Formats: sequence, structure tokens, C-alpha cells
Amino acid sequence: MTLWFIRGLRRGVVTTRYPARPDASAASLPTPPSFRPQALTSQTADRLALICPSGALHRDRRVLVYDVGRCTACGRCAAEAPDAVIRSGEFELATTDRSVLIKKIPVRGEAL
Amino acid sequence: MTVEELRESIARQFGRSLHIRTLDTGSCAVCEQEIRLLAAPHYDLNRLGFFFTPAPRHADLLLVTGPMIRAFAVAARKTYDAMPGPKIVVATGACALGGVYPVDPFTHGAVDAVLPVDVWIPGCPPSPLALLHGLGVAVGRLAEKVRDLPFTEDLYPERTRGGS
Repeated sequence: MTLWFIRGLRRGVVTTRYPARPDASAASLPTPPSFRPQALTSQTADRLALICPSGALHRDRRVLVYDVGRCTACGRCAAEAPDAVIRSGEFELATTDRSVLIKKIPVRGEAL
Repeated sequence: MTVEELRESIARQFGRSLHIRTLDTGSCAVCEQEIRLLAAPHYDLNRLGFFFTPAPRHADLLLVTGPMIRAFAVAARKTYDAMPGPKIVVATGACALGGVYPVDPFTHGAVDAVLPVDVWIPGCPPSPLALLHGLGVAVGRLAEKVRDLPFTEDLYPERTRGGS
């Protein structure tokens, strides 16, 4: 009991100040990816849509439709196309409107 | 009562203290682990005036996880009906948002199919910080940011290429 008390005094307050202040652990969270439109060809988009296990990606003509709500941040798209997919670092994704989670990424396309 | 009065009354009632009932509709329990962490000292949900309650009749907010399996739909509906109004339904995690599971004879695939969802929290699982932000959005204390995020590189010019 005394040991726990001393340990508590030494370490101070461990409780995060979030949301008043940013939390240090936020930088290491797994987050949904974001995309680099310059490196995203239609072939790459099709390939990413095919390997996405949760159906968060599909190509609609010249845009890659990206449902952030469905993304599980598994990282398979980043492993498949590391030059087109980067880490977003965004975790504050809660919304009152489901449709704003569906993002349209322009695809650098030759043919449709 | 006008819409503005109702909105103000909801903000007044939910702005101070709010009781949460969690509902697992067939999730893999990782969302539950993250929700449980909210009560741990590092996140300490109670400092913000949120409390967990085991009874839907005492709850203001229904935190739903999982893809809403069909066997659970009636129970979920009963839980929702048992809650006193005004009430908020929060769909938590990629399953609840229609990600992982398809619509098939076993699951509805998303919480929207059974309950009227007010707030969506993406993530697999959503981290405790994301859940805190989601709860803040649900009671109107925090603004939602995702509307303005394009999820293209233009937003992050300082970051180099790399894995997710």
C-alpha cells in the first residue's frame, strides 16, 4: 500500500488531458490511410479496391471512392502501393453525418 | 416547443452528465476492450461527466458495437425502446458502420438497418481517444472535423511517403 502511494506520488497524474489538450499517444495510433492522387493510376486503384478486405475502396470511373467508415486500417493498401498510400494520422473521425465519411479520391487516369 | 428550444434543452441535459449503455451486437470484443479502457485511469471517462450504466432505462446514450446480427435485432430494438428520450445512438467501429460484414442471412451488416444512428465513430477498433472525441461530438461539446478532411496528400505536405 505504501509502495503504491509512493509510486503514485513519483509518477504524478497519468490521466490524459484530452480533449482539452492533445494526447501524446495519438501519434502512434493506427489510422486510415490517405492517398496521393499523382501516384494513383486507374490500375493501382483497381488493384487496391480488389485487395481491400472490408470493401472500403471501389473505383467509380475517375474517382476512387473511399469509405473511411468501413476502413479497418489494416495497411494492406499501403503494403501493395507504398508510393500511392500514406499514413493520414487522423483519428478524430466521429461524425453526425454518415455521408461525409465517404471520400472521393481523384484517379490519375489515362483511359476510363 | 420549437426546434431551437428542443436543441437547447438537449444541450442542457446532456452537457453536464450523461449515462452510457453499451450494446454488443456481435462484435469481436475489441471495441469493448477499448470502451472498457475509457474507465481506466489514463482516460478517466468520469472526469468529463460520462458514466456507464448497466440499465437501458437509466441511459441517455446507446453505444452500439458489432455488425448487428439478426438474432440480436429484436433485443437491440427493445433496448432502444426502453431508453427514456431524448436519446442518442452511437455506432462504434467498422463493423457497425457497414465495413467488415456483408448483409447476409446472419447479419444486418450495419447498425443503421435496425436503429436510428445519430453519431458514427469509425475505427477498427476506435481508440479510446477516438471514442472520447465521438462522445464529445455526440453531446455537441466537440466539433466534427472529418467533413473537411480530403484524405489526399494535399492536406499533409510535410509528411513523407511511407506505410499506413
